[in-house]
Amino acid sequence: MTLIGQLALALGLLLAVYSIGANIYGLRRRSGEVLASARHALWAMTAMVALAACGLWTGLLRSDFSLEYVASYSSTTLPTVYKITALWGGQQGSLLFWTLLLSIFSAIVAFQTRERNSEIAPYVLIVMAAVAVFFLAMLNFVTRPFDAMIPVPAQGTDLNPLLQNYWMAIHPPSLYTGYVSTTVPFAFATAALMTGRLDDGWIRSTRRWALFSWFFLTLGNMFGARWAYEVLGWGGYWAWDPVENAAFMPWLVMTAYLHSVMVQERKDMLKVWNLALIGLAFALTLFGTFITRSGVISSVHSFTQSGLGPYFLTFLLVVVVAYTGLLLSRIKDLRSPAELESYLSREAAFLFNNLVLVGIAFAVFWGTVFPVISEAVRGVKITVGPPFFNKVNGPLALALIFLMGVGPLIAWRRATRKNLVQSFTAPAVVGIVTGLLAYAFGIRGWYVLTGFSLAAFVLGTIVVEFERGVLARGRMVHERPPRALVNLVAKNNRRYGGYIVHLGVVLAFVAIIGSSFFKTEVKQSVKPGQSFAVGPYRLVYLGLASFETAHLENLSARVNVTRDGRSLEVIEPAKLFFKRQQQPATRVAIRSTLAADLYVVLAGVDDKTGMATFDVFLTPLVSWLWLGGLTMALGTVVTMWPNAHEREVIAAAARRRMGELERQLAAEVRGT
Amino acid sequence: MRYLQPLVVIIALIAAAWATAAAAPTTTVQDVAEGLTCQCGCGLTVANCNHPNCGFSVPMRGEIAGMIRKGMSRIEILDAFRHKYGEKILSAPTTQGFNLLAWVIPYVAVGAGMLLILIAVARWQRPDAAEGGPQRQATVSAVNQFDPGLRQRLERDLKRQL
Repeated sequence: MTLIGQLALALGLLLAVYSIGANIYGLRRRSGEVLASARHALWAMTAMVALAACGLWTGLLRSDFSLEYVASYSSTTLPTVYKITALWGGQQGSLLFWTLLLSIFSAIVAFQTRERNSEIAPYVLIVMAAVAVFFLAMLNFVTRPFDAMIPVPAQGTDLNPLLQNYWMAIHPPSLYTGYVSTTVPFAFATAALMTGRLDDGWIRSTRRWALFSWFFLTLGNMFGARWAYEVLGWGGYWAWDPVENAAFMPWLVMTAYLHSVMVQERKDMLKVWNLALIGLAFALTLFGTFITRSGVISSVHSFTQSGLGPYFLTFLLVVVVAYTGLLLSRIKDLRSPAELESYLSREAAFLFNNLVLVGIAFAVFWGTVFPVISEAVRGVKITVGPPFFNKVNGPLALALIFLMGVGPLIAWRRATRKNLVQSFTAPAVVGIVTGLLAYAFGIRGWYVLTGFSLAAFVLGTIVVEFERGVLARGRMVHERPPRALVNLVAKNNRRYGGYIVHLGVVLAFVAIIGSSFFKTEVKQSVKPGQSFAVGPYRLVYLGLASFETAHLENLSARVNVTRDGRSLEVIEPAKLFFKRQQQPATRVAIRSTLAADLYVVLAGVDDKTGMATFDVFLTPLVSWLWLGGLTMALGTVVTMWPNAHEREVIAAAARRRMGELERQLAAEVRGT
Repeated sequence: MRYLQPLVVIIALIAAAWATAAAAPTTTVQDVAEGLTCQCGCGLTVANCNHPNCGFSVPMRGEIAGMIRKGMSRIEILDAFRHKYGEKILSAPTTQGFNLLAWVIPYVAVGAGMLLILIAVARWQRPDAAEGGPQRQATVSAVNQFDPGLRQRLERDLKRQL
């Protein structure tokens, strides 16, 4: 196993290097055969990395402790599902998984570009292979997943108990997929800069990749929040930990990018900005990995610290310097006759939306690195925690929500008074009335009232847009509203998918306000048979139940949740003890409704008296966050769905380009 | 540049006011504990530490309750802990000296971005377009004088698209 794995990774590295060389040689010699060989090398590289990953998975599933990695992150008693997820539970394995994803995406791009984008394809593949070379070099020389364990232990150390949760089965793969897939638009952008083909071709070619990346970054962040909510047992889902921040920043920048490319597609503006954004998004994914691996900034996610930090930092610097240099070298060619008629226009709204999104990303970055800066400048260690991020980002989030309502409804070029009145009167009234109603129902605090009002305003704008479309279809093709709604979304999926995403953001925003400002906590120690109240619920402690497996000990408290004297369900918060790691863990019990989550933690048990201590949170609206995440994901799928009209546009662009090339060729032939 | 200086000052004042307002005195254990970072390694605040029998946050919450009973304000309690454990105990930077940069820089960056947009938009605005100039008026006029036959064809095509 060790030999096969090491050999596969070594061959993978050689093939990646060969692919770069063959692409360069093929470009110089204009040899289609050599370029095809470079592409084949990438496919072979993917096969080698997949072989290595399968090798490590096999080692994990067979509990082959002759491999140091398996001995460090698995055990014979570890459930099978966690043996599979242990691939990304440790340093070497997660880097191998990253490389596997990168290889698969490179192979897909190599396949997609075998006939399309032939002018820039070799450059795209050079960039992707260069990134693969870095990761494969790490796996071959710095952090090797197939190092042998001598002597071979009879039992492994086991996976960190915090990672033995089903959200860990999907959170890292989603986030990694989001991270790694930013490489594709980045590679296309770099190729566009290298070749001087600076029109929006690279954006059109990678639109789905960018959305794919955003989709998985969204899910990755959501799943991570859900994992924190269920596993960490403090009743929250986001602690502004550096590693959480590292996952959030690329999401923000990619969101800005997905909006600003619309301006380039429509008005041929913001070329430099879009190229800068995609470079920044890719750099931030590397920064995120650097933070996770280096231990430079302390984090609760420090499961896998190592000496990789300097290598990642160097690679990050090389990428940033090279890309910036390339961008600056093309700056003259990127200038376009930009034109913006008014601040009251959609393009201006997108500019401000980009400012706020990148502003939040910068604030998060600044807060994340400030402890390092402080220590370097003053020699004083400080902490930058949730209060800082909430206060700094709070007002920016309100501005973003406001712009999310304005952007889709305001006219391109210049909004007239009539356009503004027609589009915004109803949503503005809905927003104001919501704020007043909230106040009348006793809700206080300017942020909460403004937040709810703005959320209602955005919801109003989304409804107005759907209503307009449905009514238009009713008038033009005489469809009934339900059918008109389906056809409206199906035929304009890019636009209406975007609105569904906005709806998801509104749901998540309302959830964040509700769960942040109205959470209540009750701590209570009770004996079996005793009860206590939490909001509208009464919790009756029935007693303890325990069981033991070869892997863990489980001590559960059985709690009957009642409301108005009616029993709703029996929940079982538990304390776990993982035998191999000799570590305790908490398993919370959650009763989730749309109104609020009842979140129960078994904080302690007195063996002598049988008294149990519970830490209970009643968190309003938190389930809207997961609903919002799913809605965002659904909207992205709708937006990505293939559309006949879009295919026609792409085909027309390809025909135009073919025509241009034929004319160029004819001119060259005439010249010779 | 002459616009930049007052802008920076205004942003700094707003940020400082925001931070100061946020540090307004309250006397609940929860609010004080939110301002302190647990040192047990959980990476959370003393209010949110997820270790039920944490050797740091549990006694500290008791200590905070005692200080509140003695009549100490939130700021006084945070100061007392800062003197005892150093700045790292606070969950957010102070708003003095070098730490003020932590609060001000994000707003300065957004302000600078806003300024850049204003400058860019000013350059991008065509004088005639801003006034609804001749080209735009010509377009509007052309639309108004649209050939009815052409309009009919356009509507038919639009229906097909829909």
